[in-house]
Amino acid sequence: MPMNNLFRLLSPRILGFRNSLLRSESTARKKALIMAIVGLLFWAAVFVLSSRVLIHFQSVEMIGDILAHHLLSMVLLTFFSLLIFSHIVTALSNLYLSVDLELCHSTPVHLEELFLSRCANTFVDSSWMVMIFGLPVMMAYAYVYQPGPAYYLTLLHMGLATAIIAAGIGILLTMVLVQIFPAQRTRDIVMLLCIFLIVGLYLMFRFLRPERLVDPEAFFSIMQYMTALEAPDSPYLPTHWLTETLWDHLTGSGIEGHVFGTVYVWSSAAALVVINIWVAQFVYFNGFSKSQEAKKRRRGGQTLLDICLKSLTKLIPDDLASVMDKDVRTFFRDNTQWSQLLLLGALVAVYLYNFTVLPLDRNPLPMDFLQNEIAFFNMGLAGFVLSAIGVRFIFPAVSAEGRAFWILRSSPLSMKRFLWGKYIFYLFPMLILGEILVVFTNYLLHVSRFMMILSSLTMFLAIFGIVALGIGFGALYPKFKYENIAQVSTGFGGVMYMIISAVFMGAIIVLEAGPVHVIFIAGFRDRALTDLQWLYVIPSFAAVLLLVTLAIHKPMKMGIKSLTQYE
Amino acid sequence: MIDLINLTKLYKGLRAVDGLNLRVDKGTVFGFLGPNGAGKTTTIKMMAGILRPTEGRIIINGIDVRKEPFKAKRCIGFIPDQPFLYEKLTAMEFLRFIAGIYNLNHSQSLNSHVTELLNLFELSHWSGELIESFSHGMKQRLIMCAALLHDPDVLIVDEPMVGLDPKAAKLVKTIFREQAAKGRTIFMSTHSLEVAQEVCGEIAIIQAGKIVARGTAEDLERQAGMKGSLENVFLKLTEDGKVAHEQSLSSS
Repeated sequence: MPMNNLFRLLSPRILGFRNSLLRSESTARKKALIMAIVGLLFWAAVFVLSSRVLIHFQSVEMIGDILAHHLLSMVLLTFFSLLIFSHIVTALSNLYLSVDLELCHSTPVHLEELFLSRCANTFVDSSWMVMIFGLPVMMAYAYVYQPGPAYYLTLLHMGLATAIIAAGIGILLTMVLVQIFPAQRTRDIVMLLCIFLIVGLYLMFRFLRPERLVDPEAFFSIMQYMTALEAPDSPYLPTHWLTETLWDHLTGSGIEGHVFGTVYVWSSAAALVVINIWVAQFVYFNGFSKSQEAKKRRRGGQTLLDICLKSLTKLIPDDLASVMDKDVRTFFRDNTQWSQLLLLGALVAVYLYNFTVLPLDRNPLPMDFLQNEIAFFNMGLAGFVLSAIGVRFIFPAVSAEGRAFWILRSSPLSMKRFLWGKYIFYLFPMLILGEILVVFTNYLLHVSRFMMILSSLTMFLAIFGIVALGIGFGALYPKFKYENIAQVSTGFGGVMYMIISAVFMGAIIVLEAGPVHVIFIAGFRDRALTDLQWLYVIPSFAAVLLLVTLAIHKPMKMGIKSLTQYE
Repeated sequence: MIDLINLTKLYKGLRAVDGLNLRVDKGTVFGFLGPNGAGKTTTIKMMAGILRPTEGRIIINGIDVRKEPFKAKRCIGFIPDQPFLYEKLTAMEFLRFIAGIYNLNHSQSLNSHVTELLNLFELSHWSGELIESFSHGMKQRLIMCAALLHDPDVLIVDEPMVGLDPKAAKLVKTIFREQAAKGRTIFMSTHSLEVAQEVCGEIAIIQAGKIVARGTAEDLERQAGMKGSLENVFLKLTEDGKVAHEQSLSSS
């Protein structure tokens, strides 16, 4: 099999990466630095959290090590599954849908070279994030168990081999799927499957109440507890070989299993590479050719959506109604978009469920006090949840215009009107969602009337700011050239929005915490507020109002200016 | 009808458009020719209000594009070279969207106007299909429909024939001539000298951001000092322009 051109096919990617590093402008370098710092902080947080969990496990007598072993097995299995899914999605783009494929296929390179070069790209694209963010967990194990250098070496080479196995399975599955469906349809199907899988796993994991595992008292018998600890493991899984070898290194057990683990994992990886190349010789070009064929005709059709939109847009000026109508239709016709609503539903369901299982009765503090304290801090949590929703749905609202943005730029619709239209469009659903989160959890917590009014009102005001921050930052950092709108949220602007939004909610909580405490204590003691206390309470709430006004005005103004000057 | 006064655009020190002065009269199909990177698309994007000029003024129908952009945009129909559209809308939904943006939805004649345009551009059978299933040429024709929907006085067109089959190209040329006969001004950049010769009443050649020649095809032949095809005239004028530009760069 000739491989003279393999490096040549990989070189555009490598050169592009080098050029973007060497020739980036100072703003791009600053952005990269901030992203690196945020990534590093996240990395450190995962390391600290994992270490604390492992240290806590060690303190649990008899079963501490079993828990840590099972956790390692579950973590590796999760990463492995994530890698397979990630490879399927990325392989679809890299092997069948990328814009440069036409050029590559028209050149006189061998199919195997082209296939392997695209597989290498897929491997890098899919694995780097899982590898980097999986590393702090593995380092936490090393920190807690203090293994020898062989642990790191094993982690490196067996981790690489396991990732190659995941890539092999993912790419093989992609080739099979593209034989059955066209590539465009496969992407939709895979995205939908991914969402269903994530929602399912998320709900299943939460409703299993994993917090009980560190509390054996919650179980009736040891047998029941041990059954609950059973991890979905099998001796035929590559993660099993990796887990067992790493665990032996961590605990200093015998080394006879290491050789077998290494042989199993590397021979499987090599076999999958060979199988993939062999299968690709028969099916890859056929699949690529099918993916180049014209898309099937699809009708728009008169639907319930038309009726809803007609009645909704009646109340809005024509130009804004047109933008809204277009946004809603585009959203519901894109499988990768509407399916995210399922994730949102699961997130809200689990959020509310958490409040039904809070062990409030086991706390030594008075019930009344504790419930109101939780309700108060719940505002911050709900705000964070809304910001997370905002970064996925509101922040990309401007970028969603995509390459068709020229239509609005050349139209008589001003950017000011356009942005405020988007703002109003997202404000109402967010207000409803935010109030559901706060009022429903307050109801579950049986909070006082004062806390109910305060938290509903605060959340109501905060949402005005959260939405404005989303729209404003979206306009400040627009990205009109993308393959998938989900990429927009993960860029620099999305991260900045999340940080500023979290700071905004944090500032509201800090500003209100003091006065709320004063009012609450006065109510608890059945006393009226003193003049001095009023002097403290009123300016604090006024500051919240001022902060919200700023959070609405400033980002929107900056966003309008930025979009108006966008070239 | 169209006045470009000392129009200049700088891109990081590069003069993409360099003090352009042009006047295009009502009812003219004006051809804007030039080699790649000469500044055609930049000029057109500034006229459509997508790019902001570094210096100079653009007057469309007596309205300054910079001072009153939204009023000016109401008189302009813009057709870009790349047909980027909202892929998940049907052709009819897209036209209704454009009608909404231009506040035309309450117009009594909108439906008949949309139908007339779809028929004109031979898209009526496709009005209920999602744009994502359209070919490049169909998308280009849909953009032309959208650009004519609000009956603009000025049509600004960037490379109209890219991606069109001969039949569609002929249709577009006929439509442009008819629109000009109705009193519309059409400002069109093109690489196709054949199209320029066939459709345009007046032609300007731009080189390194400056107009190097303008007039009718015959005027250009005179300026080039040669008879023959417009292709030879174009090559001669742009070569002369290139030499003059290089000389001015070396002397400065």
